[in-house]
Amino acid sequence: MEVLGQDRREGLGRRAEPRVYLLTAIFVSILLLLSSLYSAEASVFKKARETVLDAAEPMLALLAGPIAFVQGMVGDVNDYFGAMEQNKALRDQIADLRQWESEAKALRRIIAQYEDLGKFKTPPAAQPVNGFVISDSNDVYTRTMVVNVGRGAGVARGQAVIDDGGLVGRIVETGARASRILLLTDVQSRVPVYIEDAGLEGILLGRSGGRPAISFTQSSEPTAFATGQRVLTSGAGGVVPRGLPVGEIVAERDGEATVNLYADYAQTRLVRVINYEFPKVDPAADPQPQEPLGPAPVGGLPAAPPAPAPAVEAGDEPRQPVAAVPPPAAALEERAPASIAAPEPPPAAATADILPAHQPASADPSLAPPSEEDAPLEPPDVPTEGD
Amino acid sequence: MSARSDGLARLGKAAAPTLLGFLGVILLAAPLRLAEGVIPTPILPLFVVFFWSLYAPNYLPSVCVFLIGLLQDFLTGGPLGLWPAVYLVTRSIAQSQRSYFIGREQQVVFIGFAFAAAAASLILWTVMSLMSGVFLPIGALALQIAVTLAAYPLFSLLFRRLRRRVVVEV
Repeated sequence: MEVLGQDRREGLGRRAEPRVYLLTAIFVSILLLLSSLYSAEASVFKKARETVLDAAEPMLALLAGPIAFVQGMVGDVNDYFGAMEQNKALRDQIADLRQWESEAKALRRIIAQYEDLGKFKTPPAAQPVNGFVISDSNDVYTRTMVVNVGRGAGVARGQAVIDDGGLVGRIVETGARASRILLLTDVQSRVPVYIEDAGLEGILLGRSGGRPAISFTQSSEPTAFATGQRVLTSGAGGVVPRGLPVGEIVAERDGEATVNLYADYAQTRLVRVINYEFPKVDPAADPQPQEPLGPAPVGGLPAAPPAPAPAVEAGDEPRQPVAAVPPPAAALEERAPASIAAPEPPPAAATADILPAHQPASADPSLAPPSEEDAPLEPPDVPTEGD
Repeated sequence: MSARSDGLARLGKAAAPTLLGFLGVILLAAPLRLAEGVIPTPILPLFVVFFWSLYAPNYLPSVCVFLIGLLQDFLTGGPLGLWPAVYLVTRSIAQSQRSYFIGREQQVVFIGFAFAAAAASLILWTVMSLMSGVFLPIGALALQIAVTLAAYPLFSLLFRRLRRRVVVEV
C-alpha cells in the first residue's frame, strides 16, 4: 500500500507517451503566454474568455450555493455564541448612528434648501445591479471574482462594484450572464481616489497580496495625509462615480499611503455593480461654473438605507434630494436653463414617482457628481475607458 | 458484463484523472474561503497532475494537462498559457524522475512533490513579475504553497485508493 508501481508496469500500454507531446504542449503554452502578453485584448481571446465565463456560470453558481449555505450556517453558530457581545456592540453602534442620523437629516434639509435656490444640481442616479459572487480566483497573482450578472443586466466593463463595506473592484470582463471583477488588491488594479480630509488626489494601486497603496500624482506636499483618513473614489477618468468609500489610510511608506480596504474579501458575497453614467458636461453650454462638491455629500454606504424619513418640517419638502433627479439624459438638456431660472418642476412629485425605483439603490444618495477639476479631464463622450 | 458497458467503464477509467483535474480547477475557483479566508485553497489540480503523471502518465496525457491549465486560466482571468505551462513543467519533472520515484516510500515522493511545487511557484512568480513589471511579493504565494504541501498527503492517499481500486486495478 505504501509503495506504488513496483509490482507492475503502469497504464494502458507499456510505452509511455512520446516525450515530444509534452514538449509540444509546453511550447504551445509558452506561445499562448507570449501572445496573450502582447495582445491581451485581442478579440479572439476576449471572445473566448467571455464564452468560457458564460459556460462556467451555471456550474460555479451551482457550487457557490451550497458553499454559501454552509458558511452561513457556520456564521450562524458563531453568532449564537457571540450573541451577548454582539448585542452590546450593536447597541453602541445604534447609539452612534442615531447621532449621524440626525446630522444627516439636517444636512438633507440644507441640501433641499440649496436645491430650491437652484444652486445645487443633484447628481444623476446610478442604476445598480445586484449580484452574487460565484467564484473567487484563489490565485495569488490574479485577484478576481466572478459575479452572476452580465451584459444582460446592463453590466459593462469598467463599472465599479461595491459590497456593504465599500468598493470591491471594477468589472473587467462581461459575459452575457456573468462578469469578472478585478479586485483592488490585484497588481493590475488602478482606481482614481482621493483622501477625504486631506483633499489629495491619487491612484489606488493594487499590491498583490498586501494592502493597496495610493500613489500620488505630482504634488507639492506629498505627505499631507494622516492615518485614519477616509479614502473615496474620485471619479477621475469618468467611469467610477465619485464618493464611493474605499478604505482608510493605515500607514505611509515611500510617499505612498497604504490603505486598509472597507471591503472584506473573505465576506464579499452579495455585491452591487454601479451602472453609472456621468453627466456629459459641455463647458461651453454652461457658463456658470458649478459649485464644486466636496466630499461632504458622501455618506458612506452602510449609512444609506433611507427609510423615508419623517420630514422635519413642511410636508412637501423634498425628502430625498438625490432621488428627485431626472434621468441623466434629461438632466443634461435642462441643465443650462435650470441653473438660471428657479427649478420649477415640483421636486416632491418627482420624488414620489422615482422613489420606488431608487429605493434599492441605497448607495446612490452618496454618489456625488464629478467635481469641477475632474470634468475637463474626461472626454465627454467616452462612457467606459476600455473601448 | 456486456462489451458495451465494459467499453464505457474503460472510457470512464481512462477519463477519470482528467475529470479529476477539471474538478480540481472548478473547486479551486469556488469561493471556499477556508477559515474565513485566512487559509487559501490549496492548488488542487497540482495534486492531480503530479500524482497521475508519476503513477499513471498514460491516463493523463499532456494534452489533458494542457487543457486543465487552460481552464484554470479562463476561470481565474489570468494570462492564458500560464497555468498550462506550470502544470506541464510539473508533469515533466514528475515524468523525468519517474524511474526514481516509482516504488519509493511516500515520504520520498512528498519531497519530490515539494520540489515540483517550488518549481511551479517559481514559474508563477517569474512570469507574473515580468508581466506586471515589478517584483511581486512572495508571501501570499508561499502561504498557498505551504497549504498545498500540507494537504498533499490527504490527496495522495485518496488518489492511491482510487488508482488501486478503480482506475488501474492492480
